[in-house]
Order: sequence, then C-alpha cells, then structure tokens
Amino acid sequence: MSALDHAFACMSASDIRAGLAAKEFSAREIAESSLARVRALDGATHAFLETTEALALEQAAKLDAAVASGEADGLGALAGVPVAFKDNMNLAGTHTTCSSAMLANYVSPYTATCVARAIEAGGIPLGKLNMDEFAFGSSTETSAFGPSKNPWDLERVPGGSSGGSAAAVGAGLATMTLGSDTGGSIRQPGSFCGAVAVKPTYGVVSRYGVVAFGSSLDQVGPFTRSVADAALAMNAIAGRDPLDCTSQDIRTDYTANLDAGVRGMRIGIVPAFMEAKGLTAEVKAKVEEAAEHLRELGAELVEVDLPNAQAAMSAYYVLGPCEAFSNLARFDSVRYGYCDPGHKDLGGQYEASRAKGFGAEARRRIMLGSYLLSAGVYDTYYYPAQQVRTLITQDYARAYEQVDCILAPVAPRTSFKFGEVSDPTDMYLSDMFTISINIAGNGGMSLPVGLGADTNLPVGVQLISPQFKDESMLRVAAALETVYGPAPVAPLFREGADFKAPATIPDAADAVPGVDLPGLATESDVPGGVHQASSATERELSERLGAAEVVAAQVEGEAE
Amino acid sequence: MRKLEEVLQDWEAVIGLEVHAELTTLETKMFCGCKLEFGADPNTHTCPVCLGLPGALPVPNKAAIESIVLAGLATNCDIEKRSMFYRKNYMYPDMSKNFQTTQGPVAFCMRGHLDLDVDGPAAKERITAAKLAEGEEDGNAVRTAEGYTAHVGITRIHMEEDAGKMNHVGGSEGRIAGATHSLVDYNRCGTPLIELVTEPDLRTPEEARLFMQKLRQIYLALGISDCSMEEGSLRCDGNVSLRRRGDKKLGVKTELKNMNSFKNLHDGLAYEICRQAEVLEEGGQIFQETRHWDPSAKRTIVMRVKETADDYRLFPEPDLAPYDLSDEFIESVRAKLPELPDQKAARFAKAFGLSAYDARHLVEHRATANFFEACMELAGADAAKLAKPVANLAINDVTAHMNAHDDFDLEDSPLTPARAVELVRLVADDTISSKQAKEVFAAVLDEDKDPAAIVKERGMEQVSDTGAIEAVVDAVLAANPDKVEQYRGGKTGLMGFFVGQCMKEMRGQGNPKLINELLGKKLG
Amino acid sequence: MTQHVTEHDVRDIAEYTRIGLTDEEVAQMTVDLNAIIDSLRPITEYDLEGVEPTFHPIGGLSNVMRDDVEEPGFTQDVALENAPKQQDGCFLIPSILGEGGDR
Repeated sequence: MSALDHAFACMSASDIRAGLAAKEFSAREIAESSLARVRALDGATHAFLETTEALALEQAAKLDAAVASGEADGLGALAGVPVAFKDNMNLAGTHTTCSSAMLANYVSPYTATCVARAIEAGGIPLGKLNMDEFAFGSSTETSAFGPSKNPWDLERVPGGSSGGSAAAVGAGLATMTLGSDTGGSIRQPGSFCGAVAVKPTYGVVSRYGVVAFGSSLDQVGPFTRSVADAALAMNAIAGRDPLDCTSQDIRTDYTANLDAGVRGMRIGIVPAFMEAKGLTAEVKAKVEEAAEHLRELGAELVEVDLPNAQAAMSAYYVLGPCEAFSNLARFDSVRYGYCDPGHKDLGGQYEASRAKGFGAEARRRIMLGSYLLSAGVYDTYYYPAQQVRTLITQDYARAYEQVDCILAPVAPRTSFKFGEVSDPTDMYLSDMFTISINIAGNGGMSLPVGLGADTNLPVGVQLISPQFKDESMLRVAAALETVYGPAPVAPLFREGADFKAPATIPDAADAVPGVDLPGLATESDVPGGVHQASSATERELSERLGAAEVVAAQVEGEAE
Repeated sequence: MRKLEEVLQDWEAVIGLEVHAELTTLETKMFCGCKLEFGADPNTHTCPVCLGLPGALPVPNKAAIESIVLAGLATNCDIEKRSMFYRKNYMYPDMSKNFQTTQGPVAFCMRGHLDLDVDGPAAKERITAAKLAEGEEDGNAVRTAEGYTAHVGITRIHMEEDAGKMNHVGGSEGRIAGATHSLVDYNRCGTPLIELVTEPDLRTPEEARLFMQKLRQIYLALGISDCSMEEGSLRCDGNVSLRRRGDKKLGVKTELKNMNSFKNLHDGLAYEICRQAEVLEEGGQIFQETRHWDPSAKRTIVMRVKETADDYRLFPEPDLAPYDLSDEFIESVRAKLPELPDQKAARFAKAFGLSAYDARHLVEHRATANFFEACMELAGADAAKLAKPVANLAINDVTAHMNAHDDFDLEDSPLTPARAVELVRLVADDTISSKQAKEVFAAVLDEDKDPAAIVKERGMEQVSDTGAIEAVVDAVLAANPDKVEQYRGGKTGLMGFFVGQCMKEMRGQGNPKLINELLGKKLG
Repeated sequence: MTQHVTEHDVRDIAEYTRIGLTDEEVAQMTVDLNAIIDSLRPITEYDLEGVEPTFHPIGGLSNVMRDDVEEPGFTQDVALENAPKQQDGCFLIPSILGEGGDR
C-alpha cells in the first residue's frame, strides 16, 4: 500500500481517533504515511519548512502503547491527529525561524504551551509551517524561505501570514494546524485556502512560546476542515497558562453546543461592511447567501453598527508596529540568531546583523514603531490608538447587546496571484473586516462556504463572537456547516494525487543550532526577502545567495 | 581646588539620589523562576524568559511586589493601588530583551520621606543650620540640640529588573576603554530591583551618606536585600548642582556614578561640588553629563555627555496585566512590617533611659542594636544601670572596631553579649578602671577569652581593700612631709601628686576613689 | 503628502534601532515611512476627549503573579547552544565602546 493511499491527514480528527482506538490502523501508520504524503506533495505547496519525524514517531509509539495496553479510552481528543505548527511556535529541538533569515539558524530549547498542549492531547507533530517573515504580511511572500502556494491554485498565494498553516490543511497535509492572528493572519488565509480558521478571543489560548509580533493583538488558533475538529482543537489548546499573564481561566467545552442550531439566535450584519468599497460581488454574494441560510435555519438577522470600525486600520498600524519594534529588539546577534561576521565593534555587528537578518517589511515595521513611540510623537499616535481601542471595544459591546454573533466578510476577495499588484485602497478596506476584532480582542473565525462564482476559488465568511464566548461563533459555524458540508481537501491534493516531484524538506533531526535551516531563498525568489550570510559556519550558501538586498515593493495594508 | 567647607560657604549644593537595591533575599528572579544566586558559574541561572528567547513571556514574582510595598510603607510612601509595568526600550548587550521592564509615571510607591538626624562633625557641612537656634528652621531642616533634622522627600520607589553582567576583556582594569571584546553572563539578568528616587532635598555629602546609611538600615530591617554595596546589590547614583547662596534657580546638574561605598558616596559628591564650584568661579559652564567617580585618582571623569534627554520609547508592557492592589493585600504586607530603626531607637530611649543621641547611634547598625538588646536581656535587673555603659561600649568601641575592620562581624565575634555585660560590670563594681576596660576590650577580641579571666591573668583587679590602701597612703604622706606642709598651707593642687604617688606604689591597681577619699581625710 | 520624517530623522531612527541602512535604503525608507504615517491620519482626527485608553484588552484581569518558587532552568550548555560566539561560559561580543559607556 502506498503511503499516499491512506491519507490520514485528509480524515477528520474524530474518525482518526475512533479508528486508532478500534485498531483499524496504528499511530505509527498515521505518522509514517502522513510524513510520506507531506514529502510527496509539499513540493507543490511549500507549506512545510521542516518535518519532525523523530517526534512524530515517538508520539506514535506512545499512542500505540496506550492502545495496546487497553487505555484507548484515555486517549486525548487529538489522538493520532496529524498536526503541524506555524514556524513562530517553539518546539524544543526544532528550528523556529519565523520564516526569517534572522532565525534561520535558531533551534529552540523549549516548547510553546499551545504546541505542548496539542501534543499532550495526542496530536502527531509533522513539522513546522511557512509564514510571512515574523508574520508581517498577508501572502507568505515575505518568507525568507520562499512563499507557500495556494493548494486550490498553485499560481496564487495562500494568504498570510499563517499561509503555510492554511495551505497544509487545505491540501490535506495535516488534519489540524496552528496559526497566529494579529490582524487577520488566521482568518484571511483560512478564507483563501478553504479551511475552518479560528482566532479565539485574546487570552483564551496561551501565547507563551509563540514569537511575538503585536503582543496585545496576537492570538493563536487552529485550522481544520470541520467545525467539530476546530472545537476539539480549541478544547486541547485553550485555557489558563501560568506562563502567560494575559491568558484567562475560561473553562468551556467548545464542542458542547455544536449541534444546538441557530434557532432563536440573533445574528448581526454590519451594513457598512457589506457596502464597503472593494468588496467583490462574489464574496458579497456568499455572505448574503450564508445570511439567508442562517435565517432559514431559524436565526434572526439584525443590522448592527460599528461606527468606529473604520479607525481600526489606523489604530492597528500604530499599535502593531510599536509592539513589534520592541518585541524584535531582542534579535541582536548576541544570544542567538544571525550574526554578521568580522566586526570589531558591537555597533557594527548590531547594524549589519539586523540590516541583513531582517527583511524589508520587518525593518519598515521596526522603524515605524520606533518613530511612533518617540517623544512627542507618542501622544499623537500611540495614545490615541489605545483610546480608539476603547471606542471599538465599546462598539462591539453595544452590538452584542442586540446580537449573539456577527456575520461579515473575511477578505473582500479570493486569493490573488503572486506579485499581483492590488489597489492599496482595496487592501485597506479588506483589513477592516478582520483587524477591528484584534483591536477589540474578541473572537473571529473564517468558515469556508464554497467557491466564489467568478473566480471559482474558496470563500470564507467571518463569524465574530463576543469576548470569551467563542463557543457561540462555533455554534453558528456548525449550523452553516450543515448546509455547506465540511471543507473539502483541494482537488489537486485529494487521495491519489501525485506531483511526481517529491519535496526535499529538511528534518528537525538534522537541526544544529547555529547552522541555517536549508532553503533560504535567493533574493529573486522572494519579493521583499533578503539574504544574509549565516553566522556559525562559513558555507557555500552565502556565495549562492549573495549579500545584496532587494528592497521590497511596499506591501501595505495586508492582513496579519 | 578649594576645600568643601570653604566652597559651601559660597555655594549651596543641591543633591538628589537614585538608589537601586536588588531584592537578594528572594528565591527567584523578577519575571521567571530562575534562582537568585551571587557568584554562580556564568549563565547557569537562565531560562527562556531571562535569556530573552523569542516567544518567552514574563510573570511577576509576588514576593517582589510585597517587598517593594514593604519598602514603601517603611519610607512613608503612598502605596499606589493602580500601576503598570512599562517597557523602557534601548539596546544594550547585558539586557537580554533589549528593553528593561520597569514602571511608568505611576510607581508602586510615591511621595515618601525620611527624616535624617544629623549631628556631630557631620552637621558642620550644612553651614546654615549651624547658625540657627534650637527649633529654628532652615529650609527642610530644623535645628536640634546636637545638630539638625533634615526632611528628605522620596519621589518614588519603582519596581524593575537588573541587567546581566559584562566582563570586558583585553583592556585595563576590566574597563570598556581599551577592551577588545566583552563576555556576557545573564545570571543577574532579571534580578528584582527596586529604584528609589529622592527629591533634590539633600544639601551636603554627609546628608547623602546618612540618607544611604539610614535607607540601608531600613532595607536590612525589612529583610528585602542584603544591601551589599561591594557586591552591587545596593547601588547609588547622585545628581548634584550648585547655586549661589540665596539663589532660587537651580544650576545645571551632573549625574555621578560608581559610588560603591559610603565613603565613595561622600567623597565623590564632595569632589564634584568642589569641581563645579571651581568651574563656575572661573566663569565656566557646567554641562549636563554623566561622570564617573574614580576613588583611586580621587576625581570624577566624564562618561557621557547628554545633549538631549534620553528617549526610551516607554510604553505600557502589554505582556503584563496591570495592578489594582487591594486594601487587603496592602494591609497583609503592612502586618509584616518589622520594627524599624527609628522605632527601635525610640523604644531603647524609653525602656533604658538612654539619650536620643545614644539610642539613634545604637540603631545605626543592626548588629549593634541587636547586641545592645541581647546585653540588656542578660543584665536583667541591672539593665537600667548598665544601659548607658553598654551603649557607650557599642557606639564607641564596637563601632570604631567595625569601621576599622571591614570584615568584622559582631554577631560572630569573641565579644559575646555575655562578655560585654561582664566587662561593664567589672567597671561598675570598680574591679577595673574605665581606662583598663579599653585594654580588656581589645584583649577579648584578640584572645577570645572572658573579661574576668583577662583581668585576673593580667593582675588588673583594683585594690579596694581600705586597710591596704590606708597603709600606702600613710607611707606616702610620711615620705613627703614638706608637701604635706605645703598642701595644708593652701596648695591644694598637690592632691594630684599624692594620688599619683599612691597609684605608683600600687602599680596602678589602687581604687582611685578610695585613695582620694583617704587622702582627703588624712590631709584635711 | 505631508513630510512627517526627513532622511535625517530616518538615519536617527536607524541608529536607535541599530539597523544599518545604505543611502539608497534611507531614501526609500523615508518615502515608505511618510506614506504609512500619512495613512495613520484618521487616528489624529478623532475626538477622543475623555476616552480612557485600553492598554490591555484583557477585561478586568489584574495582579497576575507567581509565587517565589524556583523552577528548573537551562544548563550553561543549553543557554549557550544558539550563541553565535561564546567563551568561558559567556556570550562573546566585540568591543562595546561607543555604546554609551559603562553603566
């Protein structure tokens, strides 16, 4: 039997767990066949930066031992589920590169709480996933390792910044992946790749061990192909973590009311969102269609206003860079990361290492944040942005006096082509649908609702929960899923798919601190990417890649 | 350069202090569970948080917050219930995150004060106070019988974290200048640190020194830090400016660093005051700059010129929840307040009839205060009688010995409270003279023996046998009939001669009181 | 478009953030930053009189602390595992003269 014949990663979490418990297959089979599938097919998507074979087999052995000793009842909710993690999440013994040349040689000595919890729940870790550099971007085009490709159309971007996480689930290379969302970085790629993509309320999932971009905005969440799987993933990763001061003690069974339906629920529609300039007709039609289904299912549609939502964009472009500037100061060539060789003074080493280690977008964000926080400027932008946050939070609070959940677009359009020049105004408006949720801190998710009428590409609708009531958006999503069905694996990657060009994905077993993860892109591969020589060892890579930098065409207003 | 006392005739010095104390008595660091330990192998007390690894998040140490609230309560501060941590952003290699987590405009402790009692030679530096009558005010000072009391405002005490340590290699004396490279150890990085900032209320180097000493006593009493200036767990920077006597406007200040002992604090400030006066008197200008006190060269040197105010891009730390301390929390900390030095001094004065001066100086060192208390307990019924001589022993002899011997540890020395009580009793019952007591005191420390044994060994007991003394007195008078004649003729100054002769006969061991009495009787 | 930052300002920011930029990069960054800052104008035009800022979107969460209890950390080897340069159990850096002197 070919490894590809049994595509466990195309199965649902509950089917895998049940099959494992019933001894229809072993966890070892899941691990081996899932890794083989990744190697065979990921050459096309480039969702993975690194595989974790040893950890996968180790976890499989544990699961098989538990099944063999008759402890099948004690298996975790994600037992046997092929999982993978965005590469800004630490997993001890693997690279954590954030898709940046700065961290190409960094091997984690510790594990993020969300990763540990997914593995404790029985998930089989397959590897680490591509992203925009430090999560600055909405297409994975800023990855120093080259972009990921949308499994529905390999000419198109998977979205970002968690593009690898969305692509892996869309391509059936993993049943569940984790991503992070600062301004839309889970929901937008979820919409582009046709995955269920959940950004929980800020504080629901621990951020410990997840490399920070905007500390007051970042939140970790799952990608799956069904709402039930997403709820199982939430059960596994959510909850108070003593290592994250902002994590909350919310105890909810996210699977509890998935079958409750929406009868009697009030669903909010934001007219300003539906009339937004740049919202494409096919996406608008899908949102209206979903609204109509909800009405048919017994929900009441109510128009709600978010009068300050249009300020969310500016607030986001103040707060995000300010926090990023400070969070990225630690990459200084002293304790880890890229260190430009041959400097006799620290100042020179700092400046060269940070200039070459960071891509153009990262450098722009850092410098913008530094400017916005400087004396005299702070009061003009940063402080008002935090006041605007109050207004937007109040807007949502008022809206939730009238409704239980809000339905909105995720992105104004479906996936675009690599390098495609977009009207910046469109992009700005597109972010408005996701960004205000990060500013206010409540939960939002993208639910796939089929393909757009014009582009024939996946479209997601956004469901937005009140703070700490993430179960309500999952409940609405589950009801809609009864109409649309679970998200399918992208056609190119369904069982039997074969791209005849197996990927050569590095494995964490070969990870050596100080040695770059192979695959750093050349400047021509990556718009906005930069190359730099590696720190620890001299090697041909630096010659291959050269030292020149390409300043990216400015990509603004992307979802993150 | 002119001397300090001369300079201070013409100029008023305005001094403020910034005092950093590491909370060394805690088990773990400020934001992670790494052990606090001085002198461990480099980088053996680190974790993702204090190494600033990507993805790590801070969690504050509750005991550190309790410690700073204790410090605030003990220095008469208002405890701010609502405050936040901030990030102070600047890149420096000993700071792993390249920002320091500290507090913003509102610190846990705000608007406190300490009252300094300045007396003895230390009081002379504030020349304006010396001219006042008791009870009269001089700015923030009030004249007292022995000197003056200065009211020193405390702006704030805030919570922050210490940086790691750097060892500069390849240059001289481990200094940056000339070093080819540096080695960084993050064991200290993240150590809980409290920074106290005073108002510019200090006027003399002595006041600065006394303030630091008093603050150190308070922190030691609270048990929140070992306050070792040598190991850097208590550090002090000074801001100093001058203005002409009578002027209201403040001059340009310089910031002084590396004053890592009480002596250096005093001497560094004294030098800087004299230097500034010289510059100003020669028509020069003081620049806002950071200067380094070099104790071996006895001068301050420029470290850094501050052209513009530092811009640290301070903003609220999003990874740490804000504080909203409850009354219950604050009261639970207040309940842990120990007796503070001022309270102890008041108690000593009241319980043992000591003067305010004696009581204050007794509590200047925790060791002498504890020593005194232990002695009083042993003295039992004689406590009131022995209090003054024990206090004198502690304040004068013991303190002098401590000052002369840096490594002297009273609690672990041969001078136990029992021996001290024995020593003062020997004087009180006239077994030895107070002059001999000094010799016995030194011998106790040297030989680790009981005072009585030393007195016996050295044959120092006073002869108080009236018969024996009378015989000597008679012999001396008989041998000097002419002097007896002169004495009786009115030359009473000869008494000293007779006493001296008797003492000489008795090899110094005669009870001087008895000798005097008998001589008076026989000559009278 | 308003000139919010000059090339001189950008050089200052680059120095503060320790990012070495070429002259061309400074010029491009100046253009980029001005464009972005211009787009932030809505924030400056809001009437925010009396509106409290929300620095922490965590509801009423406050006083989150841990007990003063030691947790296992890294060995020296692990601490230094990713160090670009090390010596004698320490992280090694080149001369720091010009970094603001001793502290």
